[in-house]
Amino acid sequence: MIHTVGVADMKVSAETGDLIITHALGSCLGIAVHDPVACVGGLLHVMLPLSTIDPVKAERNPSMFVDTGFPELLNECSNAGALKRRLEIRVAGGANSWNREEDDLFQIGKRNLIVLRKLLWKNGLLLKSHDVGGSNSRTMTLAIGTGIVTIKSGGQVKHL
Amino acid sequence: MALNILVVDDSSVMRAIIIKTLHLSQLPLGEVHQASNGQEALTVLDGKWIDLALVDINMPVMDGEEMITRLRQSPATADLPIIIVSTEGSETRKEVLMQKGAGFVHKPFTPETLRDAILRTLGGLDEQKAGDGTL
Repeated sequence: MIHTVGVADMKVSAETGDLIITHALGSCLGIAVHDPVACVGGLLHVMLPLSTIDPVKAERNPSMFVDTGFPELLNECSNAGALKRRLEIRVAGGANSWNREEDDLFQIGKRNLIVLRKLLWKNGLLLKSHDVGGSNSRTMTLAIGTGIVTIKSGGQVKHL
Repeated sequence: MALNILVVDDSSVMRAIIIKTLHLSQLPLGEVHQASNGQEALTVLDGKWIDLALVDINMPVMDGEEMITRLRQSPATADLPIIIVSTEGSETRKEVLMQKGAGFVHKPFTPETLRDAILRTLGGLDEQKAGDGTL
């Protein structure tokens, strides 16, 4: 079954035949986690770095912010049987909103990545791989059975 | 096989960051030793079996460059895998050190960059799979 993750949304699955996909990752981050032993994985599409700008929205939908969405993704995967120390974490997106980084006034993509980087370090986690920055939109897919993450961007498809 | 690793840096904070990264990298770690300059590192190497050394360049007492030169002159440590972890920006100086068989990780680094450099040095990761460290 194919699950589509919208903007500020998350899906977790333990079904080996499932594919989780998210489209239109610009400055947003797509964060895929997968436990290859338990065959549990999840995909999160977060928009903004910090929930402090709107705690009410963060309470209603943690997937909107990196600092609330990523811990929620880890919790959901853990509830589905994944172990934190086995998780393979991959990230895509965090692009500039303009072609040139210096024209990107708010630097949302970069700030999303900085907050994720801090959370990873605090939680004792490292990234398996990443495809971030630039100015292209990306589509990210996670196959629960294999843990393979695919990135489609600018007409090209690659494994992450 | 458990790896004994020596971390040589005059900053205790940087040594702590490197050691935390080593633990997060899921390497088969044995003993992790520390030294705050090249002279201390040579003393550690004299008495311990070390499989990999992570070495800063700019340090008091004895800098990393001299330490590596001395290591390469000794038959016991001539082939010791070394990764330089430094802010060094001079391409010429980096070239000289890399000719002595050392890998290089530029500070500031992401933990993944250091992990990939270690795996590459120890033969566990091919060049193309290594992250570019831009995150």
